[in-house]
Amino acid sequence: MTPPRRVLVVGAGLAGARCAETLRANGFDGELRLVGAEPVPPYERPALSKEHLAGERDAASLELRPRAFWDEHGIELLLSRRVVSWDAGARIATTSRGEELAWDALVLATGATPRMLPGWEHAHVLRTLADADRLRVRLDPGARVAVVGAGFVGTEVASTALALGCSVQLLDVAPVPLERVLGPEVGALLAGRYAEAGVELQLGEPVEPSGLDADVVLLAVGVAVDPIRTDACGRTETPGVYAAGDVAEAWHPLLGRRLRVEHWTSAAGQGAAVAHAILGEERPHAALPYFWSDQFGLRLQYVGHAERWDEVELDGEPGSFVARYLEHGRTVAALAVNRPTEVAKLRTELAQLPVAA
Amino acid sequence: MTVYRITIDRSLCSGFGSCAELAPQAFEVGADGIATVLVGETDDPEVVEAAGTCPMGAITVEAVEAAA
Repeated sequence: MTPPRRVLVVGAGLAGARCAETLRANGFDGELRLVGAEPVPPYERPALSKEHLAGERDAASLELRPRAFWDEHGIELLLSRRVVSWDAGARIATTSRGEELAWDALVLATGATPRMLPGWEHAHVLRTLADADRLRVRLDPGARVAVVGAGFVGTEVASTALALGCSVQLLDVAPVPLERVLGPEVGALLAGRYAEAGVELQLGEPVEPSGLDADVVLLAVGVAVDPIRTDACGRTETPGVYAAGDVAEAWHPLLGRRLRVEHWTSAAGQGAAVAHAILGEERPHAALPYFWSDQFGLRLQYVGHAERWDEVELDGEPGSFVARYLEHGRTVAALAVNRPTEVAKLRTELAQLPVAA
Repeated sequence: MTVYRITIDRSLCSGFGSCAELAPQAFEVGADGIATVLVGETDDPEVVEAAGTCPMGAITVEAVEAAA
């Protein structure tokens, strides 16, 4: 195989940035372009609902690399534009500005966009730096904030808004927050924590846009994405085309199935795996899924990936505990809440598990 | 060969442990669940790559010199 000379990375989030960096760090000296829809160089998205929204970290401090880094490493940033189409035969991609970019390897790291619901067009969403800045200026002390959707973005924003002195309502059709990922038992513990902190919870009933009495409304009901299936190294079915990050439904060698997650560590690991694959090296992203969330004085750290489980084992108290998710008596995922000393051990333990049948 | 200075901001470390897993020669997670760096300067690419896996961005890698 002739090594590619022109790599085009579509999407300037963590996965795309990590792919580009890893290519350079491993000796790739061809043309390298990174196309980003947002007007800013790659930045840390996790802080948008937390430190940045709270006004503790400004936009400049979120950038993944110093501004000069991209130039110094010969990574051409093409910002404020999207790739609108690409031709796998001619190996040309066209941008929203009409530019035609030739490639030998194409990396799709386009992320995801917030899911919208009819009737909620005037609500805020939170995905980009611009979204966060629009929301931030509305979070004045005393503002009545309604957060619709008790997932991770919603609960983190609720926590930040409360700390800023807003009066916060958290609404979801599910009976407890974070239910889909953490289950009813842990969700109930967290709901207790939120209520104690002063959040008004309206859970377990449908939410109508007209029924809200609030100055600011955030709609945080997950993302819309057209997943791209890949192998463990990020290769798609089309030769020369790769995918990484939130958009990728990647084969996971440890779990023995494909999954699409929206975790920081997966985006970084998949971006690096794609870079190696482009260079002809098999370096699959095989680390167990992991994510964290900081909210209401709790640090949640979750290792593994459980879509179903038979039983949840809780050890500790509401402000500091470990929850193990068991399937057929085996821990398939675990959550540590304010238990940082457990996380590395849990990762090691769960990585020993045989592939699920 | 480039030499790098490796530092950890222990206030940011969350005890994830990927640094110590990928480069045990350079990082260690202590009994407090917080990582420490065992080398001041290194030219080991494995250490640099391990630093990049920190989800909290707690590990800083600075190029200090280009040795002969």
